[in-house]
Amino acid sequence: MLLAYIISGLVIMGFMLLRFFAPARRADYLNSLAIAQSAIFLILSIASLIYIPQPSFFFSRYLMIDQLAVYGALISCGIFLLASFYARGYVRRLVELHDIEVRELRLFYAAYNLLLIVVVFAFYCNNLALFWILLELTTILSAVLIVTLNAKENIVAALKYVFTASTAMLFSIIGLIILFALTKQATGVGTLNWDVLMQQAASMSPRLFTFAFVFIFIGFAAKAGIVPFHTWLPQAHAKAPSVISVLLSAVLLNIGIFGVLRLYAVAHQTAAWHDVSLILIGFGVLTIAVAALSMLPRGNVKKLVAFSSIEHMGFLLVGIGLGTPLALFWVLFHILAHALVKTLLFFSAGILHQQYHSNQFEDMKDVFTLQPLAAWGLIVGSMAIIGVPIFPVFLSKLNILTELADYSLPVLFIILLCFLIVAAAFAVILIRTIPQTGEIKHEPYRVSVSMKLPIMFLFAGIVILGVYFPGGLHNMLVGIVNSLGF
Amino acid sequence: MINLPVLDDITKILFVLVLATAALIITIRTLTSLLNIYSIQSWVIAAVAFVLYLKNGSIVLLLLAILTIASKAFLVPFVMRRIQKSMHIKRDLEFRYLTPIGSILVGTAMIFLVYWSFSQFLPELSSETMFFPGAVIGVSLALMGMMVIFTRKQMITKILGYLTMENGVLLFSLFVAELSFIIELLIILDLVMLIVLATVLAFGIDTSIDEFHDKLNSFTLWFKE
Repeated sequence: MLLAYIISGLVIMGFMLLRFFAPARRADYLNSLAIAQSAIFLILSIASLIYIPQPSFFFSRYLMIDQLAVYGALISCGIFLLASFYARGYVRRLVELHDIEVRELRLFYAAYNLLLIVVVFAFYCNNLALFWILLELTTILSAVLIVTLNAKENIVAALKYVFTASTAMLFSIIGLIILFALTKQATGVGTLNWDVLMQQAASMSPRLFTFAFVFIFIGFAAKAGIVPFHTWLPQAHAKAPSVISVLLSAVLLNIGIFGVLRLYAVAHQTAAWHDVSLILIGFGVLTIAVAALSMLPRGNVKKLVAFSSIEHMGFLLVGIGLGTPLALFWVLFHILAHALVKTLLFFSAGILHQQYHSNQFEDMKDVFTLQPLAAWGLIVGSMAIIGVPIFPVFLSKLNILTELADYSLPVLFIILLCFLIVAAAFAVILIRTIPQTGEIKHEPYRVSVSMKLPIMFLFAGIVILGVYFPGGLHNMLVGIVNSLGF
Repeated sequence: MINLPVLDDITKILFVLVLATAALIITIRTLTSLLNIYSIQSWVIAAVAFVLYLKNGSIVLLLLAILTIASKAFLVPFVMRRIQKSMHIKRDLEFRYLTPIGSILVGTAMIFLVYWSFSQFLPELSSETMFFPGAVIGVSLALMGMMVIFTRKQMITKILGYLTMENGVLLFSLFVAELSFIIELLIILDLVMLIVLATVLAFGIDTSIDEFHDKLNSFTLWFKE
């Protein structure tokens, strides 16, 4: 099965290298290949879920297919597929505006497809060192995707991203080496395979495990945009083309969180898990607070959405730190809900940017006349992301907060206060933007069907998931929580 | 078989050399000298790996020594020199927050801090004589590299700071535990790619966007028009 991923990925990459089409049609040709790869990967992930007994191990147990891995892969492939459709119209427009040159397209799509392969395999990693390697590769590839645009600020943003993420990731390696030495001490054979770590965790020294955990956490947290390692995130998300912002926010941040989740599952088997929980909740609350306070003065729509991603990652960390089966169940659901809503918000922001050539709210005049779909996307997305009922984020927020109330009321109040600030930040900006009218500087931009379809799909998906909980999803999430040992 | 005390003594001398190169990296301003010192530091760390190989005969250590020389003493400095030549920057004069003397003082404080905090935890892990000093110097070197990243302004110097961090982590891993060779190899490949990308990006900041995209494409030959 995993070979099928690699082979299909490589075949499509091979097609990308062929020079069939004249530059004028190259964007569409390369995009079709990206759509094909995302679709094939999605089908393969569904097939893995149905036909492969879980957990199954591959390549000397370096890789593993279990329910958590498939869940991550399914969300990522789904988002990639939507993003690939959206990219068809979006990138064509970027080429017209000379925001991206035709000669960069092949590099852009190659990095895009390679990123999908790396992301899927990162989820399928059983070995934490291999996971680290793939996580680092995602940094490299997404930085390349950010700099293909014709703007110097993008290079600065990418450099900041590369430096912050990879500096933090070097600390992870130190932690992984300590963990490896720890297993060697406990059993005589060193390993970083997650399944073995789960079995042997009880025999490890809790003090040393916490020590290793802190180091490993720094790197994973930087990739997930946790404060204080988040400094790269707002700029990178805001400067990247919107279709890449989607991948950064709805796919790549998740990988960091999945890493923390797997590590936390190991910690749960040791006597160190109370300390580890405390660390996670502490960082989570700090992250939510810093993100919420940074959101109030924002005038840039993409930066606002980026800070909202930081806030949600902090919330996920709090949920993981609670460590109850119910909290983890809703953490997993929140990952899916957040990914869908964030995709909708960035897709809408992308259309608005192409209309107004700006991400600033004050430049967006007559949004309902010019871009009604994007305006609705922004409104619905904002409501959904702050947790208004009938949207899925509401369910997960409510349930995690209920669990939090059992843990600590003061922490609950702090987080509720922060959520209030976040809601105010979104409300202020929407109220200021929507009634704005004025002289129209740019021609109305006709949004292509390939960009509209994913947005409509997301509208439907978000509403359905908010009011109806599919039985299959429920069973899967329960299965994952059990497999993590909770 | 070479007797162990001699090997331990050699390791100690190499530690001093590592610290000396670290002190130079946090204080020197001329970029070419910085690159040269980084190469020397990589040689010293490869030598540490080789001495450890002589001591316990693990083939992974020998391969690591060879890999370190190939990637860190030759490949990375070569790429960086080439790109630096086209950038016309010779010296990095600006130190933010810290002067060179201040850097030395903070660096020394870091070593003590790491020593103190590691002495609470790590000695449980192994009883080897050189294990603890190796781990402490490795992590201190990594922290000094991080200090360079934060206190210098030129991107190329920052990249050298990152490379120093990597050397520190490598030194740490030599003494604490070697992962399987395939993983070590992949990690080094990953880091080399990262450095090449960061260098190209640093080049992009100082030149026009067209020149930058030319350079970016020249490192991804297959995708070139």
